[in-house]
Amino acid sequence: MFRYFQIAARNLWQHRLRTSLVGLAVALVTAVFVLLTGISNGTQNTMITASTTLLTGHINVAGFYKVTPGQGAPVVTEAKKVRAIIEKEVPEVESIVERGRGWARLVSDSSSLQVGLAGIDIETEKGFDGVLQIESGDLSKMKETDAVLLFQKQAEKLGYKENGKKVPVKVGDRLTISAPTPRGTNNTLDVTVVAIAKDMGLMSQFSIFMNNTGLRRLYQMNDDTTGALQIQVKHFNPNDRTGLTALRERIGKVLQQHNYTLLDNNKPVPFWMKFQDITRESWTGQRIDLTLWSDEASFLENFAKIISVLFGMVIFTLVVIVSIGIFAVMWVAVRERTREIGTLRAIGMQRFSVMTMFQVEGVILGVIGALAGAVMGLAIAGLLNAAHIKIAEGMQLFLFSDHLILLPTANLVAWGVGIITVVIGLASIVPSVIASLKKPVEAMSHSG
Amino acid sequence: MDTIVSIRDVVKEYSLGKVVVPALRGVNLEVKKGEFISIAGPSGSGKTTLLNLIGCVDTATRGLVSVTGQDTAQLSESALTRLRLNTIGFIFQSFNLVSVLTVYQNVEFPLLLQRKLNGAQRKERVTQLLTQVGLLDHAKHRPNELSGGQRQRVAIARALVADPQIVLADEPTANLDSATGAAIIDLMKELNHTKGTTFIFSTHDHRVMQHAQSVVRLADGLISGRETAAQAVAHSLGVEQAKAS
Repeated sequence: MFRYFQIAARNLWQHRLRTSLVGLAVALVTAVFVLLTGISNGTQNTMITASTTLLTGHINVAGFYKVTPGQGAPVVTEAKKVRAIIEKEVPEVESIVERGRGWARLVSDSSSLQVGLAGIDIETEKGFDGVLQIESGDLSKMKETDAVLLFQKQAEKLGYKENGKKVPVKVGDRLTISAPTPRGTNNTLDVTVVAIAKDMGLMSQFSIFMNNTGLRRLYQMNDDTTGALQIQVKHFNPNDRTGLTALRERIGKVLQQHNYTLLDNNKPVPFWMKFQDITRESWTGQRIDLTLWSDEASFLENFAKIISVLFGMVIFTLVVIVSIGIFAVMWVAVRERTREIGTLRAIGMQRFSVMTMFQVEGVILGVIGALAGAVMGLAIAGLLNAAHIKIAEGMQLFLFSDHLILLPTANLVAWGVGIITVVIGLASIVPSVIASLKKPVEAMSHSG
Repeated sequence: MDTIVSIRDVVKEYSLGKVVVPALRGVNLEVKKGEFISIAGPSGSGKTTLLNLIGCVDTATRGLVSVTGQDTAQLSESALTRLRLNTIGFIFQSFNLVSVLTVYQNVEFPLLLQRKLNGAQRKERVTQLLTQVGLLDHAKHRPNELSGGQRQRVAIARALVADPQIVLADEPTANLDSATGAAIIDLMKELNHTKGTTFIFSTHDHRVMQHAQSVVRLADGLISGRETAAQAVAHSLGVEQAKAS
């Protein structure tokens, strides 16, 4: 085998120009693979980190309270009791935060926006300031009852004209929130902008953060009512949906044992997509809705999946193109070395060995090209991350960040190198088989 | 002496489009173990075809080709390859060395395919052969760094390294000058004497023919006779003189 390797390596070296060009093509495809999977993984990771910090817990104990069958509010009553039960009986829980939920109109002097409301107790929120990038203001002031946090784009949309120029809402400006309460009446609350954060893609398009007490005041709810108990679990692994689902089932059983009724509707969608179904059902009172982070962020996850699919298609196309290139190169190599093949067959080399010899050549080309491409891709990814490249606004929506984040993990790079090497190896199979099937006498008399 | 190659009523035809071209038209030949014979004849007489059939790199259209008592038509491709590896050594007109391997590696290659000897034994065997052909000093050279004569000597070493019973040489001196050609034939002859290896080589050069024990004369795909070297040389010279006049 070593001799086949040696022959293959030397043949590649002998045709240095051709080897370099094909190797470069393989390297470029691998580098593109590393970069695109890096972006895809970076997007996925940003989305998971951002959504599990700002939007949802790993598991959410939420629910709906209906005064009448046709009128429901996304609240959990007896929140403190529910929280105590879970903290006592589910050891996998690391922390629980209360989040108010609502849907309201945010009104400035000159404009208004329909937004989702997320009520937070800033002192209990871990990692919040690590995920949000505060552009202006002070996040700690979210402890004020009338505090709200907006994102840049929202501040611009709510802005007003001054000397013919649109000026965004600033920290310290007063806004009004108007929302329908569970009692069926509208209520308003005057709030103060205490911080403006950088946009975070799709997530920052439709929701704002406000003080939890302020949110309860808006909806005229007592202190023991909240929108959701967001549970952060120990050793969270976003890919372990089975483990999280099992834990959710267990939390459900625990709550049922304490006489809580669970919502029948367990579609994997965010709570606001369930309103229509809920109001069609005849029950009234409290129903607990247990959701996973992936349910609440499913609409975001779909975008991440679309990006992965698009990038996958690009990579697939490139791999096919480079495979055709390898096929052509190996074909030429077989033609050029037909006499040599004939000689080797004549002196006693078996067909399988001839095939192996050419296969080794393809694999060497694939491995070296793919490894070089992986290094190139990682280096470019590092440079792009360091350059903190701002991405176009349209793209920010789908990449969940205002700048490009590439996260090419060792696992992904290894997969990339492996897949590309295997594909290149496969591309060289047909020429190798053709080489091995040649009759020695015909191969030796080959000219050209 | 035992018969090592037996050819009976062998016909070989090639198809060139719709035209069937006969290369051998019913050839009979017996070669004994340890013989040093030449196949002579003009270009297109069927010398190379006959060597290819004996060397099991081609198959006859009809007739029997038996090598070391084995009917080659009954052997699988894999068995034929093993037969070539273990029984037959080839020396080609244009040397056919693997250009990316060194002299040493080219000679060692059949031993690697055989997988019978370990590294040390292979080294000993290759060194012995290279010494015999006078190229030990060139062991690390690549074929393109050698002269034609040196390359042919490497080819001879490669042909003999696996200790074959038969060595087939297709016009081994055709691409060499006369002095080098004579030296190559001398070398082959010496190996024939010392090791008892059967040599069958094709040529149309009477200076080469004269070294053979016997000369099989081929013309138009048929064996026209089997002569001693002296008869063959006289025959060749007579033909040449007739052509000249």
